[in-house]
This record gives sequence, structure tokens and C-alpha cells, in this order.
Amino acid sequence: MARPTLFLLHALGLSARSWDGVIDAIGDGLDVVALDLPGYGDNAASPLLTVRETAEWVAARIREREPDEWLIAGHSMGGKIATIVTAWAERAEHGLIPPTGLVLVDASTPGPEPMAEERRALMEQWWASGTISAEDAAAYIHANTAGPIPGAVRETAIADVQRSSRVAWLEWLRRGSLEDWSDEVGVLRTPTAIVVGAEDPDLGAVNQERLNLPHVPNAVVHEVDGAGHDSLLQYPGEVARFVTGLAARVEGTAALPPAFARLIASDRVSARTRRVMMRRLDGPGDAPRVFSPAQRALLTVLVARVLPQRGTDLDIAGRIDAEFAAGHGDGWRFAELPPDAEAWRQGLDTLAEQVPDFAALTGAAQEAVLDRVWDGGIGSDADGRLTGSQMRLWLKDVQAEAVRMWLSHPAAQAWIRYDGFADGGDGPRKQGFSTTHAGEWEPWQRDWRTGKELQA
Amino acid sequence: MNLTGMRHHAETDEVDAVVIGTGAGGAPILARLAQAGLSVVALEAGPNWEPTDHTPDEIDAASIYWTSERLSGGTDPEAFGGNNSGIGVGGSTLHWGAFCPRPDERDLRLASDQGAGVDWPITHAELIPYIEEVERFIQVSGPADYPWDPARRYPLPPVARNAPADLMAAGCDALGIRTTDSPAAIVSRDVQQPHFGVRAGAINSGATHQGDRVASKASMDVTYLPLAVAHGAEIRAGAMVHGLERDATGRITAVVYRKDGVDHRQRTRNVFLCGGGVESARLLLNLDLANSSGQVGRNYMAHPAAQVWGRFDRPTRMWRGWPSSLISEDFVRPKEKDFAGGYLIQSLGVLPVTLATSMARSGIRGERLMDLLEHYDSFAGIGVNGECLPAESNRLTLVDEVDEVGLKRARIDFSFSDNERALDAHSVTTMKAIWEAAGAKDVFVLNRTAHAEGTCRMGDDRDSAVVDPNGRSYDVDNLYICDNSVFPSSLIANPALTIMALALRTADRFLGR
Ligand SMILES: Cc1cc2nc3c(=O)[nH]c(=O)nc-3n(C[C@H](O)[C@H](O)[C@H](O)COP(=O)(O)OP(=O)(O)OC[C@H]3O[C@@H](n4cnc5c(N)ncnc54)[C@H](O)[C@@H]3O)c2cc1C
Repeated sequence: MARPTLFLLHALGLSARSWDGVIDAIGDGLDVVALDLPGYGDNAASPLLTVRETAEWVAARIREREPDEWLIAGHSMGGKIATIVTAWAERAEHGLIPPTGLVLVDASTPGPEPMAEERRALMEQWWASGTISAEDAAAYIHANTAGPIPGAVRETAIADVQRSSRVAWLEWLRRGSLEDWSDEVGVLRTPTAIVVGAEDPDLGAVNQERLNLPHVPNAVVHEVDGAGHDSLLQYPGEVARFVTGLAARVEGTAALPPAFARLIASDRVSARTRRVMMRRLDGPGDAPRVFSPAQRALLTVLVARVLPQRGTDLDIAGRIDAEFAAGHGDGWRFAELPPDAEAWRQGLDTLAEQVPDFAALTGAAQEAVLDRVWDGGIGSDADGRLTGSQMRLWLKDVQAEAVRMWLSHPAAQAWIRYDGFADGGDGPRKQGFSTTHAGEWEPWQRDWRTGKELQA
Repeated sequence: MNLTGMRHHAETDEVDAVVIGTGAGGAPILARLAQAGLSVVALEAGPNWEPTDHTPDEIDAASIYWTSERLSGGTDPEAFGGNNSGIGVGGSTLHWGAFCPRPDERDLRLASDQGAGVDWPITHAELIPYIEEVERFIQVSGPADYPWDPARRYPLPPVARNAPADLMAAGCDALGIRTTDSPAAIVSRDVQQPHFGVRAGAINSGATHQGDRVASKASMDVTYLPLAVAHGAEIRAGAMVHGLERDATGRITAVVYRKDGVDHRQRTRNVFLCGGGVESARLLLNLDLANSSGQVGRNYMAHPAAQVWGRFDRPTRMWRGWPSSLISEDFVRPKEKDFAGGYLIQSLGVLPVTLATSMARSGIRGERLMDLLEHYDSFAGIGVNGECLPAESNRLTLVDEVDEVGLKRARIDFSFSDNERALDAHSVTTMKAIWEAAGAKDVFVLNRTAHAEGTCRMGDDRDSAVVDPNGRSYDVDNLYICDNSVFPSSLIANPALTIMALALRTADRFLGR
């Protein structure tokens, strides 16, 4: 299998070269692509300026490489861009498939970045003459490093600052860093590492936890002792360690087969359809909602027997719980049963009472219990319990709901090789299907379970 | 649908007619009355969509299903929601399958022909011109030669067959059963639809079923409703009717509905109730109206609609193509049988969530369920639509639970009689034989029912019917009903085409034509 690709986005004024030390320390486990963002490094002459244009440009760089598995890391300004690109990719927007990891290094925030007003004014002042002097560039690097850095690294950084585009700087200072992207980013599910210099004045641990962590609640925060805002210049080995640590942890965890994810991201799928499909990659959360912990635990066992998942490992019971909590009904219920959530609670309580050791039984024994329920042979006349005939109806509901929940998940759809949702995007002509007979297929169709080409 | 520029009526204006519901029954009536120059307002409980709003995602498409809870009882409780009922401007035609067979003459005379059920108070000969008018207007696609009715012609050539159709054709050929391309209310090529615009030719997607984004399917919002609006009809979406005001003589004077949480009252001279097989009866029972016969809610009918599935050697990918592209009418009156009536056979491709939940409901679970689903992409199905005899005990009643607007919820009890049971078994035997002949493996049967008919039946006798042969209430003389509910017997043809034809006829009778 190809190595995962790691995309690196630099900070204001720096370039791809700011990652050199980190890249050396990463070794060859990852296919590393360090980018010069528009306005910087070799791309200083690029006309693209705004945060959106920059993020779209990054998305295009990712798309053109078609990585099956990718991660992204961003430093400072590049962190905001990386966060935005990750949010798009989680939703399969901009033709991207979800990344497996995100690393935020002293990262700017999705919302307005906290920066002292005098500092902002000073940084604008540096460019008053049209170019930035070597002294001011050096002052900029000095302020962002809390200790000494090797001379060559310092020289490179100063040179990058000097060759960056004035309009790009001013754009970031006056608008980009202040733009509020927090709603568009929302809450990300991508496994994330936050790396922060312990001495970073504006974007230190406190502000990271206040401003970045709410968007990446599952993130692990690593402080780099003695580092300032440019931790990667000072301690590239440390930063690399956190990057490779995350990469190792997430390797092979992509939620969807890459080819299938690319299909969802493609223009054969409508925005509405893409949105609802990708949203289902969010897990239901561990906390029971309409069920007690005991009911939910039993439901988990029951669902595993009714629907022994293949190709996926989803928390179906949790998803059912969340669905009831959201109050979504399917339009009908058996007249013999109480309203849905109540019927399920009573069904679970009846099963727990009538077959107390259900969870401990072997698969075959559990199956035998379900056969008896199906025949109406397990039930109770007590209050708050379901009778045998009610239990039978309830089991029908459980079986139907479990498989409905499972097949609504894109990973299960990939496993059954279903691509009927890709019948056309939002263009004026929906692509549809041009082949309808057995043994024929469309050029874009694959065996979605394996990603392989189809064979006659 | 596009409602900009639509004519608006003041609530204080007394309009000529209010039409409740914009599905297969309501929409053609609305158009016909508007074309005749009447002032008409349609009140539709659901939202108004553009075709491009729909989604092929099976779960998310629930936005076009009636999901306010119904209770289902009896020995063969019917599934509602996605299986059975729609909401929104266009009603259930937003997600109908567009399988568009004509009603068979013998089915309208079931009692005379078979000594069971009832005869319709309308002749087939009277219905056929309306059927043909509907087929022309909604632009039905079909075969050049229809084996069971050689004189029949369809406006457009058939839509493409898919893998299940090919396989069913092969199986039927081997057994000497005749088949042909199904009549489809789906245009097989780009066409102009008056007052709507271009309806694109079928894109061969099974998801067309749950809201057609290219308008190839004849849902009411791309056919009769644009025609109605062009002639001055007003459509109010999100308007849930929950009351009918009457004067001292019992005639209706105004319709009360809730929109955005606020009650409104539209004055009107006439009401056309077209809420569908469940909602029309539920409203009348809630209001205790038009029920001197005691028949409102009775004779609920659901077609026996068993399916037989099999796995084939080559991937069928049956989500491609129009799902039911092959038909056989050879079993409208099967030769050797011990039941009244018969059934239509169609090929089937069904999307995964719908199919798998049916499988799970029918008792397939655990490793066997997974073994089958592992080969979902190699499945093909056959299904039927069979006669259901009216029975008083199959009945819609009210329970004490109330819905969002305070109307009591419906409970529908449905049990097969011996006739449906025998027909169901016969159809399963036939379908299994076809699949065996076609080389299917892992064959399994899904027992199910489809459609919601009866509950306000039409008849010659005011003691045993709710509406007269013109669709007019026997009790309230400015109330008409036209939808699935007025069917005296189920017919074996899927109902929508007949409902549309009946709707035009009801409008004509009202207009004195
Ligand atoms: C999944 C599915 C597939 C089908 N496939 C086929 C097929 O292939 N061929 C076929 O012939 N038939 C098919 N049918 C059946 C067909 O769609 C219906 O028979 C037909 O649409 C019924 O027409 P109707 O006018 O009775 O009701 P509907 O079309 O359901 O219209 C009733 C309308 O009234 C509205 N309404 C109800 N109560 C109120 C109220 N109180 N206030 C305001 N508005 C209200 C509803 O929201 C709805 O829009 C299918 C049905 C389903 C569910």
C-alpha cells in the first residue's frame, strides 16, 4: 500500500522550507508534500490572496495527487487553512476525501485570531516602504522564537519573509486572521494533534484550548517546552515526533474506502446527498439518551446478534438511541405496541427479565432465544413489559431498524457495492446511468468493497 | 414547483372550490376546475419542492413521506411511512413508482365476473377515454404492441429494461408466460410539458422512485399542478386542514387549516377532499361528517404484493434502470385457481435500505441476512399486485392519541381473507417458478402489501357507500371525495392512473359535463 501523504502548510511570511527540519526528522514513513502557499516562497507572485482562495488552492493541490490516505499539518496561519480544508474534506466538499489526521502547530484559530493591536500595527508598519527590511524580518523571526535557532534556519526564514508578497501579508493581517470561519468549520471528527510552544504569547496552550480545541474536541494537546510561536524552527524533532505519533495512530483508519469516498466527493453526487451521507460518519457518542445504560448495553448485544456487521464496526445501538432522542419516527407503528422509544425500553426490559443471562450466552444460544421471541414464546404480562405477541412485533422492529441504520452508513453501502446515490450531481443534466443490463457497468464504477476495477 | 406569479385569493373571498390534497386525486381536479374558469384553492399539508431538491438517499428522502404516526393492526398490518404515503405538493406521486398499468375491465365487474367483491358503479368504457387523456397528458412510455390489448398505443416508446427485467423475461419465456415493457409514467426521452417546461428523458436511476430530480417521472408537480396554476389555481403548501365549517343546512361554508402554527379559514362554495386512502377518512371521522352510512373507514384494502427475490451469477446492479420495467398480465385471471381476481406481475429493482428492512421484517436476520446482503449487487426481484376484496372488518378507526394539529390518529386494522391468502400463495408459486427457470439462487420471499384504498367507497346505494358514482357525498351535497379512498374494490392495476382518470371524471360531473 502507498504511504499516507502528509501536506504541510507554513506560517505567515515563511515557506515550505520552514518544515525542512521537521521533514528530515519524519523519515520515510510518510509521503511529505510541503507547499508554498500563494503569496509566499516560490508562489509569492500568485494573485490568490484571501483565506478562501488559499484554502481552495490547497484543496486543488490535494485533489491533483489523489491520495488514498492523507494527513495535513499547518503552522500558525497555515493551521487555520489546514482546519478549513479538513472541515471541507470531512464533508467530501471541494472534491476532497476525509483526511485521517490533522496537526495544528501553534495554529491560528478558525475564529478571529487574538493578536495584540500594537503588534498588528507594527507588522503592517514593516511593509510601509513596499518591502520589508532584513532587520524587521529578523525581528519578526526573533519574536516568534523563544530561544536560539541554527543560523542557517534563521537565514532561510528571514529570506522567506523578505521574498513574501506585501499584499499577502496585509491581507492576512487586516482580514484573513480576523475572518470568522468557526461556523463553517464546526466540530471536526478527524483525529487531531495540537502542538504548541510553551512560550507562545498569543496562541499558547490557553488560547489553543479556548479557541481551537472546541473545533477538535478529540485533540491531544502537546506543549513543547522552551518553544515560542515557531516551535518547528526551534525544535523540529519534537514537532516531527508528534506528527509521526499521530500518523502511526491513525494509519489505516480511513472511515471509507478511498475510491468510494472519492465517488461521494465527485460531481455525480448532489450536495444534499453528500451532506447527509458524510454526516453519518459522525458517531452517536457514548452517553445513553432514551435508554438506561443497562438497556443500551443489552441492545448492543441484541443488535450484534441480529445484524453481525461485515466490513464495518458501527455502534448501531448508539445510533438507534440517538435517533429516538432526535424524535424521528417512520410514520407508523404496530397498534399493539406503545409509542416507539417506550416499546423499545419495555422490550429490552422484558428480554432482560426473561433471559437474564442473554449477553453471556453463546451466539447459537442467543439465536435460539430470538427464534423463541419470533414465535411469541417470550414475554410477560406484567406492567411495563411486553407480552409474547408484542415481543414478536418488537423484534421485527429491532431487526428492521438495525439494518436500516447500518445500510444508511456509507461504509456499509460501499461494502454491498452500492452506488445508486451517484445518479447525478447538481448540474443541469444529471448524469444518471447509461448501462442497465447485467454484466455491464459504467466506466467510473468499481468494486467499492475493494476499490478494484470491475471485471467481466 | 414554481409558484411565482400564481394568482392569490383572499381568505374572505368565497372561492368556487377548495381542493384538499395535491396528489393523484387532487391535482387533476384542480387543473380541470381552473381550466373551466372557476376560482380554486388547493390546501396541501406538506411543503413545496423543486424537483432538484430531491435526494437519492433513501433515509433523507423521508421528507416526502407522511411520517405523522399511524397505528397498524390486524393479522397483516400494513407498513405506512415510506411504503405507503406521501406529503408535499404532488402528494404520493412525488415518490410513486410510476408503474402505470390500466385497470382491467373484468376487475371493475368483479362481482358479476367472479361472484366476489363488488362491481364499480362506473363502466370501463366510460373510464377509458379519461385514462387515455391522462396517458397523453402525463406522457406515458410503453411498448408498441401491448399483448393483452392490441389496440392500445402509448405516446412514447418504452424506457430501458434493466437486469431484473431481462432475467424475468428469460424466466417467463421458458415457461411460456408473455411479458412486455411496462407502461411507465416516465418519459423515455426529453419532452416539453405544457406550463412546466422540459422533462428530461429517464436517467435510468432506481432512485427516481423517491423524488425525480429531472422530472422524467409524471409527478403532479410537473404535470397537472403547473397546468392548474397557469389557469389561475392557487396552491397553499404547508396547509394542514383540520376543520370544515358548515351552515345550518349542513353545507360546508369554509375550510379551516393550520399553516406555520396559525389557523386560517378559507370560505368556499365547494370542497374536494383528496387526502388519500387514510387521511380523507381520518378527517371525516374526526369531524363526524358524511358518515350516515357508517361506511367511512370501512373496506380498507391493501394489495397483496408479495415479492420473490433471487441471486444471479452476474452482478445485476439493480439500482440502475427504472425499477419495474417488465410486466406480465397473464395472471389477471389465472387458469387454475381457487380465488377471485388475479394479479399483475412486474420485475423489481429495489434500493438497499428498503429491501433490507423488508427482509428483516420478514424474519431474515443474523448471518443469513449478511450472507444475502453480501450479494445485494447480484439480486433481482419480481413482485405482484393482486386483488384485495373489500371487507367491513378491515377498517380505519380513531384512537385517543392526537396528532400535531389535534386530530385523532388513525388505527388501520388489516387482515387477509382466505381470498387474499390463496391469491398470495398462488402468486408466490408463480414467481418462484419464473426465478427457477431464470436460474436464480438463494431465492427468498417477502410477504407484503401495498397501497391504501377504500375507506370512503363509491357506490349506487347511500346505505352502503360514502359517495355517489360522481364522487359526491351522499350526506353533504357540496362535498366531493376523489382519491384512493373511493375505490369500491381494489382493482389489480396499481391505482394512480385510475385515480387521475377518476379525478377528471369527478371534475367533469361537477361541472355538469
Ligand atoms: C412507494 C410508493 C410507490 C408507489 N408506486 C406506485 C406505482 O408504481 N403505480 C401506481 O399506480 N401507484 C403507486 N403508488 C400509489 C400512488 O402513489 C397512490 O395510489 C396515489 O398517489 C394516491 O393518490 P391520492 O390522491 O389518493 O393520495 P396522495 O397522492 O397521497 O395525495 C394526498 C395528498 O393529500 C395531502 N393531505 C392529506 N391530508 C391532508 C389534510 N388534512 N390537509 C391538507 N392536505 C392533506 C397529502 O399531504 C398528500 O399530498 C405508490 C405509492 C407509494 C407510497
